[in-house]
Amino acid sequence: MSRINLKNWRCDKINRRESQDKKRSFKLKNGLVRLLKQIKKEFRLLWTDKFNMFIALIVPPLVILALGLTSGNPRATVQPINCVVVSYDSNVFIDENNFTESTLDDYNLKYVEAVNASNLLNLVQFFNATEEIYAMETARNLLTAKQIKVIISIPVDFSELIEWGYPGLIDCVTDSSDIQKIQVSLNAVYDSIKIFVFQNNLSPQFKIKGYEEFSIPEGYSFSYNYMIVLVLSFMIIGVGMVSTILIVVQEKPVARLLLTPVKRLEILTAKYLTYISILIIQNLSLISTALAFGLYLVGSFLDLFLALFILGFTGLTLGIFISSVSKTKTQANQLFLATFLVLILLSGIFIPIEAMPIYLQVIAYILPLSHGSPLINSIITKGRSVFGFDFFALLGVSLILVGLSYIIFQRRKYEV
Amino acid sequence: MVSVEDLNVIFGKKHIVHDVSFSVKKGEIIGMFGISGAGKTTVIRVLTCQIEKKNWNGTVSVTGLDPSKKANHSKILSNIGYVPQLELLNLYFELTPMVNVEVFTSTYGMDKKEAKKTAEKLFKILDIPKDTWKKRVKKMSGGEKKRLSMAIGLIHSPDVLFLDEPTTGVDASRRYDVLSYLKKLNQQLNTTMFIITHDLEAALICDKTAILREGRLLEFDTPQNLISSLPSNGLVARISIENLNQKIINVIQGYPSIKKVLRVGNETIEVLMDQFDENLPKFMKFLFEKEYKVISMSRDIANFRRYFQIRIQEEETKEKVQTQIELINNGGPQYQN
Repeated sequence: MSRINLKNWRCDKINRRESQDKKRSFKLKNGLVRLLKQIKKEFRLLWTDKFNMFIALIVPPLVILALGLTSGNPRATVQPINCVVVSYDSNVFIDENNFTESTLDDYNLKYVEAVNASNLLNLVQFFNATEEIYAMETARNLLTAKQIKVIISIPVDFSELIEWGYPGLIDCVTDSSDIQKIQVSLNAVYDSIKIFVFQNNLSPQFKIKGYEEFSIPEGYSFSYNYMIVLVLSFMIIGVGMVSTILIVVQEKPVARLLLTPVKRLEILTAKYLTYISILIIQNLSLISTALAFGLYLVGSFLDLFLALFILGFTGLTLGIFISSVSKTKTQANQLFLATFLVLILLSGIFIPIEAMPIYLQVIAYILPLSHGSPLINSIITKGRSVFGFDFFALLGVSLILVGLSYIIFQRRKYEV
Repeated sequence: MVSVEDLNVIFGKKHIVHDVSFSVKKGEIIGMFGISGAGKTTVIRVLTCQIEKKNWNGTVSVTGLDPSKKANHSKILSNIGYVPQLELLNLYFELTPMVNVEVFTSTYGMDKKEAKKTAEKLFKILDIPKDTWKKRVKKMSGGEKKRLSMAIGLIHSPDVLFLDEPTTGVDASRRYDVLSYLKKLNQQLNTTMFIITHDLEAALICDKTAILREGRLLEFDTPQNLISSLPSNGLVARISIENLNQKIINVIQGYPSIKKVLRVGNETIEVLMDQFDENLPKFMKFLFEKEYKVISMSRDIANFRRYFQIRIQEEETKEKVQTQIELINNGGPQYQN
């Protein structure tokens, strides 16, 4: 008797489990169907919003196109840096070891010739400090007046040191008011040194290593390749944000939709999936346009695609987060503007992150553009793999934003 | 179909709804009336699973299911329909009516063909012109949007339909059209309807009416029964008196058989009295004796609007008396020197 009971009990248990499994799979199937229908709705809404479609799909390749058309030939478009050379080389040099005097200045004019030969420098004036005692002061005035970006000062022992086989020294006074231009100015001075070394066969005293490691080869536009990193980063994150900042806040019938069996999770997931598919199209069109206009891509197409995707996804999650937090359209727009300004200013593009105060550095390292721009740059110019710290930092930031958006959307008040 | 017993809704320290109880049968139209803040919408929010259980207590059943259990929410929401006051909360203006139908029916797991068929049937009942079916909703007129909103509410053939202020924003001449559409839908589909409204004309189509005031249910009965509960089964004398003023009204109120005097116009009052047929001639004689210039007099039966007005006035008077008693018990009003 007890054996029969046990058998029945087991049968009941199995039946119950089966019916529970069936219920669960039915629920899951229904949920998936609803999700697909919500995605369809999102696409329909997006399709009716022509302006958003224009911003999301047409504007980005148009900007690349404009950039490609205006960049032209690289080297020709590189703006040379205005400079002056102040030479003290003709002054009397006293050797401290044996107190002998020397007025050697054989390499003085040779260096000036090298400056003239460089495409990256434009010699505005040459001062011989032996004859013009206020040479440096005049040069500084030119620097103040922004007529030049760099003063190249040739010291008194320049020719002597080269003649005696020691490394030659050149002083550079750069305009540091524009922090971004310092490196460009120094690069231009290095270029003149390179020419000077080559023309006078001065190796090994002036051997310069690694200078050309990641340069753009002939036939590719330097400015285009330099600008494309910024444009791609800004565009992909900006467009991602712009196209999503209103999608939650402006959809009023969600209040009514929530009085149907549809779940909040399904509504928000549908939005994410819709805009992710738009992001994929966006990425493909952006990379193709960039390549068509002569992007010198050292890394792989897939790496660049993934880098743009993760940056775009972060922009998208930031947009949806703003939309979920905001109560009105105006609030969403204002919040977007504020966030985007902070993103740009602290991205390290205008001010190097290392030059910021420590608390700003912390904020900067949390912001997506601080990782996105170097990530894209390293793939384009150095051919590095996408899977590095920057990628995972972006992934982390976006996952946190997705989580927060879900929590906020779940708690968002909808009243009909 | 819907039953509510001792419903109390409390948000923090605010007690919004007090001991509300009623029950509704299938196919009935219920009108929920009350001035702003009466608690109508709060009651409906409980029934439509919009208020968390921690904020309410009582025994509630909607289509046989208990909304206090979260597991029942999905089933309840499948069994009910909701037509919000504002169409923009119910319709995607950028999409066509048919696409709107598809969006909402998909949430109930309805087949596309079945949904289309139901939509066409509803659109025909509600006289939504065929040429607008494939145009964007934003291009439809206000009335068409309202009717489309009702159609969306009924698209999945719910057992209960909740309508929030269905006649608000509709011009006076169209209000009766909206009400007659609702009656038509109720008759053809046998759907139970809850109408939350300020518009007392809506009582015309209601099988039962609920009057709420400050979160309390004052009455729940058929409009006819409520009107009949008035003195003389709701018979009223409408009298116009030249130079009518508060002094005259006070004199009339003092007449023995008079139960209620309502000022309904500049020079017009409506009077309710006991034993109407017997007392009306005596009352008129009294007015002539007082030398009031009676311009006209007619007899009528009170409508729901009058009943509502009287009932709310009664409550207000009761409240005033209660406050005065409390003041007296507390030693009268306190004045500061």
